[in-house]
Amino acid sequence: MRSDNITEFRRGLLAMTPLMPGIAVFGFLYGVLARQAGLTPFQAWGMSMTVFAGSSQFVAAGLWDHTAALTIIITTFVVNLRHTLLGLSIGPYLTGLSRRWKVALAFWLTDESYAIAITEYRQGRGSPGFLLGASWGVYLIWPISGLAGTAIPDPARWGLNLIFPLAFMGLLMAFMEDLTSVVIALAAGIIALAAAQLLPGSWYVIVAGILASTLGLALERGRGAA
Amino acid sequence: MPTHPWLVFAGMTAVTFATRYTGIVAAGRTLPEWFRRWLKYVPVAVLAALIAPDALAPQGRLTFDLSTVALGVGLIVAWRTRNVFWTIATGMAAFWLLRLLTGGTT
Repeated sequence: MRSDNITEFRRGLLAMTPLMPGIAVFGFLYGVLARQAGLTPFQAWGMSMTVFAGSSQFVAAGLWDHTAALTIIITTFVVNLRHTLLGLSIGPYLTGLSRRWKVALAFWLTDESYAIAITEYRQGRGSPGFLLGASWGVYLIWPISGLAGTAIPDPARWGLNLIFPLAFMGLLMAFMEDLTSVVIALAAGIIALAAAQLLPGSWYVIVAGILASTLGLALERGRGAA
Repeated sequence: MPTHPWLVFAGMTAVTFATRYTGIVAAGRTLPEWFRRWLKYVPVAVLAALIAPDALAPQGRLTFDLSTVALGVGLIVAWRTRNVFWTIATGMAAFWLLRLLTGGTT
């Protein structure tokens, strides 16, 4: 990497530090679950290093001891479909990059690094090095905390499960430019709450993401016509 | 239980990579104007969708407890500061303080 890429990588890594305790907690929980499901510590760690997609790893560990391999792989695909939406959203900023860059950014893309990097891009400060650094901030923590899985008995007791919603709130507010974005956020929240009850896996993110964004477009059209 | 765990991991890795790479590459094509504007709204919608169930129904049903209050404090700080670090710091501080005041039970 060129030196400005290294500077940006470091900046992305640093931007991820406030979220690291939250990632570590989810890593622990995954580790506990994977162990219960019959995966060895080495295998639990290996899944984090290769698949590197938190919610689908939880689901896979939950299915592990009573499900066929193909079913686990298909379920993983479905749970991770929301990443296509994230990729579509951040992709326009990455068009000029080489295939190697795109492959690397895709392999390590997560909800957290997407959220931090898209905020930077919107404010004109984003870069591929920053996105990769933010992703690696997750990659440094996720597998090792999974390995340590059984060490902390009850992370919710410490309120560490609050870190993700809090971090996402801070990021969300950076996008609150006008009334339309407030309406979209409220609509997405309500749809997600309802959809989480009705749909399996993380479908609620896809459904609420698509419906609420479309509502934004409709509101824009309605205002244009008025 | 799968007999070859590492083969399953390989399959999981392949499909996960496919979901991530497809979006990034597809976005590079020439996109219609309405689709570009639609994409502009995606982060708000996705972030709110990630927050709501986690904050209001962590166990699958609507819950109101110390965590909810702490998240409310976090939301106000997020709105005033637009800063991730301060949002996390005050939200967590509110949670610990509330737990201390209510005698240590969640």
